[in-house]
Amino acid sequence: MENKKRYPELRRRLSPGWWTANRHYAMYMVREWTSLFVALYSLIFIYGLSLWATGSRAEFLNLLKNPAVVGFSIVALVFTMYHAATWFYLLGAISPVKIGRSTTKPWQALILNLILLLIVSYLAVWLVVLR
Amino acid sequence: MKMETHKVARLHAILWGIFSLGGMIAAFLLPVLIYMTAIAYPFGLWPFGSPSGCLSCPTRDPSFLVIGHLLGALFVFVTIAGSLYHGIFRFQSALTEVGLLRLKRGLEAVGYSIIFAGIILLAYYLLVLNPSLPAL
Repeated sequence: MENKKRYPELRRRLSPGWWTANRHYAMYMVREWTSLFVALYSLIFIYGLSLWATGSRAEFLNLLKNPAVVGFSIVALVFTMYHAATWFYLLGAISPVKIGRSTTKPWQALILNLILLLIVSYLAVWLVVLR
Repeated sequence: MKMETHKVARLHAILWGIFSLGGMIAAFLLPVLIYMTAIAYPFGLWPFGSPSGCLSCPTRDPSFLVIGHLLGALFVFVTIAGSLYHGIFRFQSALTEVGLLRLKRGLEAVGYSIIFAGIILLAYYLLVLNPSLPAL
Protein backbone atom coordinates (compact mmCIF):
# COMPACT_ATOMS: atom_id res chain seq x y z
CA MET A 1 0.00 0.00 0.00
CA GLU A 2 2.82 2.36 0.92
CA ASN A 3 4.64 1.81 -2.38
CA LYS A 4 1.51 2.38 -4.42
CA LYS A 5 1.23 5.61 -6.42
CA ARG A 6 -1.27 8.10 -5.09
CA TYR A 7 -3.12 8.05 -8.41
CA PRO A 8 -2.64 5.96 -11.55
CA GLU A 9 -0.46 7.43 -14.24
CA LEU A 10 -1.56 6.16 -17.62
CA ARG A 11 1.29 7.68 -19.57
CA ARG A 12 2.84 5.69 -22.41
CA ARG A 13 6.62 5.48 -22.36
CA LEU A 14 7.85 7.11 -25.55
CA SER A 15 11.24 7.06 -27.24
CA PRO A 16 13.03 10.46 -27.29
CA GLY A 17 12.60 10.76 -31.07
CA TRP A 18 8.92 9.75 -31.30
CA TRP A 19 7.96 13.21 -32.56
CA THR A 20 9.97 12.76 -35.79
CA ALA A 21 7.60 9.98 -36.91
CA ASN A 22 5.37 12.33 -38.88
CA ARG A 23 4.76 16.00 -39.67
CA HIS A 24 1.93 16.43 -37.16
CA TYR A 25 4.06 15.22 -34.26
CA ALA A 26 6.96 17.41 -35.41
CA MET A 27 4.73 20.51 -35.57
CA TYR A 28 3.37 19.66 -32.13
CA MET A 29 6.92 19.55 -30.75
CA VAL A 30 7.83 22.83 -32.48
CA ARG A 31 4.78 24.39 -30.83
CA GLU A 32 5.82 23.08 -27.43
CA TRP A 33 9.37 24.44 -27.86
CA THR A 34 8.11 27.93 -28.72
CA SER A 35 7.42 28.13 -24.98
CA LEU A 36 11.18 28.29 -24.37
CA PHE A 37 11.33 31.63 -26.20
CA VAL A 38 8.29 32.91 -24.31
CA ALA A 39 9.97 32.03 -20.99
CA LEU A 40 13.40 33.39 -21.98
CA TYR A 41 11.95 36.70 -23.17
CA SER A 42 10.15 37.04 -19.81
CA LEU A 43 13.38 36.34 -17.92
CA ILE A 44 15.35 38.85 -20.05
CA PHE A 45 12.69 41.49 -19.30
CA ILE A 46 12.95 40.80 -15.55
CA TYR A 47 16.75 41.00 -15.85
CA GLY A 48 16.34 44.39 -17.56
CA LEU A 49 14.18 45.61 -14.67
CA SER A 50 16.82 44.41 -12.22
CA LEU A 51 19.46 46.49 -14.05
CA TRP A 52 17.19 49.52 -13.76
CA ALA A 53 16.28 48.93 -10.11
CA THR A 54 19.87 48.42 -9.03
CA GLY A 55 21.51 50.84 -11.50
CA SER A 56 19.94 53.29 -13.88
CA ARG A 57 17.11 53.52 -16.40
CA ALA A 58 19.70 53.89 -19.19
CA GLU A 59 20.97 50.37 -18.47
CA PHE A 60 17.47 48.97 -18.96
CA LEU A 61 17.05 50.88 -22.23
CA ASN A 62 20.53 49.89 -23.43
CA LEU A 63 19.67 46.24 -22.84
CA LEU A 64 16.55 46.63 -25.00
CA LYS A 65 18.70 48.18 -27.75
CA ASN A 66 21.41 45.51 -27.53
CA PRO A 67 21.58 43.85 -31.00
CA ALA A 68 21.66 40.33 -29.51
CA VAL A 69 18.57 41.05 -27.39
CA VAL A 70 16.79 42.68 -30.35
CA GLY A 71 17.62 39.68 -32.56
CA PHE A 72 16.49 37.18 -29.95
CA SER A 73 13.30 39.18 -29.27
CA ILE A 74 12.39 39.24 -32.97
CA VAL A 75 12.74 35.44 -33.10
CA ALA A 76 10.71 35.28 -29.86
CA LEU A 77 8.02 37.46 -31.48
CA VAL A 78 7.78 35.08 -34.46
CA PHE A 79 7.45 32.09 -32.10
CA THR A 80 4.97 33.97 -29.91
CA MET A 81 2.82 34.67 -32.96
CA TYR A 82 3.06 30.99 -33.87
CA HIS A 83 2.02 30.12 -30.31
CA ALA A 84 -0.90 32.59 -30.56
CA ALA A 85 -2.10 31.19 -33.91
CA THR A 86 -1.95 27.55 -32.75
CA TRP A 87 -3.54 28.48 -29.41
CA PHE A 88 -6.46 30.22 -31.17
CA TYR A 89 -6.89 27.25 -33.52
CA LEU A 90 -6.92 24.87 -30.55
CA LEU A 91 -9.56 26.99 -28.80
CA GLY A 92 -11.80 26.52 -31.82
CA ALA A 93 -11.08 22.79 -31.93
CA ILE A 94 -11.64 22.20 -28.21
CA SER A 95 -14.74 24.32 -27.72
CA PRO A 96 -16.70 24.78 -30.93
CA VAL A 97 -19.77 26.99 -30.66
CA LYS A 98 -23.09 25.73 -31.96
CA ILE A 99 -25.01 28.35 -33.92
CA GLY A 100 -28.37 27.03 -35.11
CA ARG A 101 -27.70 23.79 -36.99
CA SER A 102 -24.04 24.46 -37.73
CA THR A 103 -20.98 24.35 -35.50
CA THR A 104 -18.06 26.76 -35.75
CA LYS A 105 -14.82 25.47 -37.30
CA PRO A 106 -11.34 25.90 -35.75
CA TRP A 107 -10.18 28.21 -38.57
CA GLN A 108 -13.11 30.54 -37.81
CA ALA A 109 -11.93 30.79 -34.20
CA LEU A 110 -8.41 31.45 -35.51
CA ILE A 111 -9.50 34.36 -37.71
CA LEU A 112 -11.82 35.82 -35.06
CA ASN A 113 -9.12 35.67 -32.39
CA LEU A 114 -6.47 37.15 -34.70
CA ILE A 115 -8.77 40.13 -35.28
CA LEU A 116 -9.30 40.30 -31.51
CA LEU A 117 -5.50 40.17 -31.04
CA LEU A 118 -5.09 43.26 -33.26
CA ILE A 119 -7.80 45.12 -31.32
CA VAL A 120 -6.35 44.11 -27.92
CA SER A 121 -2.83 45.08 -29.07
CA TYR A 122 -3.95 48.53 -30.21
CA LEU A 123 -5.94 49.04 -27.00
CA ALA A 124 -2.92 48.01 -24.90
CA VAL A 125 -0.65 50.50 -26.73
CA TRP A 126 -3.25 53.23 -26.38
CA LEU A 127 -3.84 52.56 -22.68
CA VAL A 128 -0.24 52.17 -21.52
CA VAL A 129 1.73 54.42 -23.89
CA LEU A 130 -0.36 56.91 -25.86
CA ARG A 131 -2.89 57.95 -23.23
CA MET B 1 -5.81 8.01 0.82
CA LYS B 2 -8.85 9.05 -1.22
CA MET B 3 -8.75 12.51 0.32
CA GLU B 4 -5.10 12.91 -0.73
CA THR B 5 -5.89 11.80 -4.29
CA HIS B 6 -8.56 14.49 -4.44
CA LYS B 7 -6.12 17.10 -3.14
CA VAL B 8 -3.47 16.16 -5.74
CA ALA B 9 -6.09 16.14 -8.51
CA ARG B 10 -7.33 19.56 -7.39
CA LEU B 11 -3.80 20.95 -7.31
CA HIS B 12 -3.21 19.59 -10.82
CA ALA B 13 -6.42 21.23 -12.02
CA ILE B 14 -5.38 24.58 -10.50
CA LEU B 15 -1.86 24.41 -12.01
CA TRP B 16 -3.20 23.52 -15.45
CA GLY B 17 -5.85 26.24 -15.10
CA ILE B 18 -3.16 28.87 -14.45
CA PHE B 19 -1.22 27.39 -17.38
CA SER B 20 -4.23 27.98 -19.66
CA LEU B 21 -4.65 31.52 -18.36
CA GLY B 22 -0.93 32.11 -19.03
CA GLY B 23 -1.43 30.75 -22.55
CA MET B 24 -4.19 33.30 -23.20
CA ILE B 25 -2.00 36.09 -21.79
CA ALA B 26 1.01 34.99 -23.89
CA ALA B 27 -1.21 34.83 -26.98
CA PHE B 28 -3.02 38.15 -26.54
CA LEU B 29 -0.62 40.44 -24.64
CA LEU B 30 2.94 39.21 -25.16
CA PRO B 31 3.19 39.95 -28.92
CA VAL B 32 2.44 43.64 -28.41
CA LEU B 33 4.90 43.90 -25.50
CA ILE B 34 7.68 42.29 -27.59
CA TYR B 35 6.79 44.55 -30.52
CA MET B 36 7.04 47.66 -28.34
CA THR B 37 10.30 46.74 -26.60
CA ALA B 38 12.17 44.87 -29.36
CA ILE B 39 11.00 46.50 -32.61
CA ALA B 40 9.25 49.83 -32.02
CA TYR B 41 11.77 51.21 -29.52
CA PRO B 42 15.12 50.14 -31.08
CA PHE B 43 13.96 51.11 -34.60
CA GLY B 44 12.10 54.29 -33.60
CA LEU B 45 8.69 53.10 -34.82
CA TRP B 46 5.15 53.80 -33.60
CA PRO B 47 4.27 54.32 -30.75
CA PHE B 48 7.76 55.40 -29.57
CA GLY B 49 9.05 57.30 -32.60
CA SER B 50 7.83 60.89 -32.79
CA PRO B 51 5.94 61.69 -36.03
CA SER B 52 8.10 63.47 -38.59
CA GLY B 53 7.95 67.24 -38.34
CA CYS B 54 6.35 67.18 -34.88
CA LEU B 55 8.91 68.68 -32.53
CA SER B 56 6.52 69.21 -29.63
CA CYS B 57 5.22 65.60 -29.64
CA PRO B 58 6.33 63.73 -26.52
CA THR B 59 8.92 61.03 -27.18
CA ARG B 60 8.43 58.08 -24.90
CA ASP B 61 10.40 54.91 -24.36
CA PRO B 62 9.57 51.48 -22.85
CA SER B 63 10.39 52.72 -19.35
CA PHE B 64 7.08 54.61 -19.61
CA LEU B 65 5.37 51.18 -19.45
CA VAL B 66 6.76 50.74 -15.95
CA ILE B 67 6.61 54.23 -14.50
CA GLY B 68 4.03 55.99 -16.70
CA HIS B 69 0.99 55.01 -14.69
CA LEU B 70 -0.41 52.16 -12.67
CA LEU B 71 -2.07 50.46 -15.64
CA GLY B 72 1.26 50.17 -17.45
CA ALA B 73 2.91 48.46 -14.48
CA LEU B 74 -0.10 46.15 -14.17
CA PHE B 75 0.12 45.34 -17.89
CA VAL B 76 3.82 44.48 -17.55
CA PHE B 77 3.21 42.35 -14.45
CA VAL B 78 0.30 40.36 -15.91
CA THR B 79 2.03 39.85 -19.27
CA ILE B 80 5.46 38.84 -17.97
CA ALA B 81 4.22 36.76 -15.01
CA GLY B 82 1.59 34.95 -17.11
CA SER B 83 4.02 34.30 -19.96
CA LEU B 84 6.77 33.13 -17.61
CA TYR B 85 4.45 30.64 -15.92
CA HIS B 86 3.08 29.38 -19.22
CA GLY B 87 6.50 29.19 -20.91
CA ILE B 88 8.30 27.35 -18.11
CA PHE B 89 5.38 25.02 -17.36
CA ARG B 90 5.04 24.05 -21.02
CA PHE B 91 8.77 23.70 -21.64
CA GLN B 92 9.25 21.51 -18.58
CA SER B 93 6.34 19.37 -19.78
CA ALA B 94 7.88 19.19 -23.29
CA LEU B 95 11.20 17.99 -21.84
CA THR B 96 9.45 15.02 -20.23
CA GLU B 97 8.20 14.07 -23.71
CA VAL B 98 11.67 13.87 -25.25
CA GLY B 99 13.16 11.23 -22.98
CA LEU B 100 13.45 13.08 -19.66
CA LEU B 101 10.36 11.60 -18.02
CA ARG B 102 12.50 9.99 -15.30
CA LEU B 103 13.63 13.52 -14.30
CA LYS B 104 10.06 14.79 -14.03
CA ARG B 105 10.19 15.62 -10.31
CA GLY B 106 13.51 17.44 -10.64
CA LEU B 107 12.33 19.37 -13.70
CA GLU B 108 9.16 20.38 -11.85
CA ALA B 109 11.19 21.55 -8.85
CA VAL B 110 13.52 23.66 -11.03
CA GLY B 111 10.62 24.95 -13.13
CA TYR B 112 8.46 26.05 -10.21
CA SER B 113 11.47 27.61 -8.49
CA ILE B 114 12.20 29.74 -11.58
CA ILE B 115 8.52 30.72 -11.87
CA PHE B 116 8.26 31.59 -8.17
CA ALA B 117 11.53 33.57 -8.04
CA GLY B 118 10.76 35.32 -11.36
CA ILE B 119 7.30 36.48 -10.29
CA ILE B 120 8.49 37.65 -6.86
CA LEU B 121 11.40 39.60 -8.39
CA LEU B 122 9.13 41.08 -11.07
CA ALA B 123 6.65 42.31 -8.45
CA TYR B 124 9.49 43.67 -6.29
CA TYR B 125 11.13 45.63 -9.14
CA LEU B 126 7.79 47.07 -10.26
CA LEU B 127 7.02 48.16 -6.70
CA VAL B 128 10.47 49.74 -6.38
CA LEU B 129 10.35 51.50 -9.75
CA ASN B 130 6.75 52.69 -10.11
CA PRO B 131 6.18 55.80 -7.98
CA SER B 132 2.38 55.36 -7.91
CA LEU B 133 2.65 51.90 -6.36
CA PRO B 134 2.97 51.55 -2.58
CA ALA B 135 6.61 52.13 -1.59
CA LEU B 136 8.49 49.23 -0.03
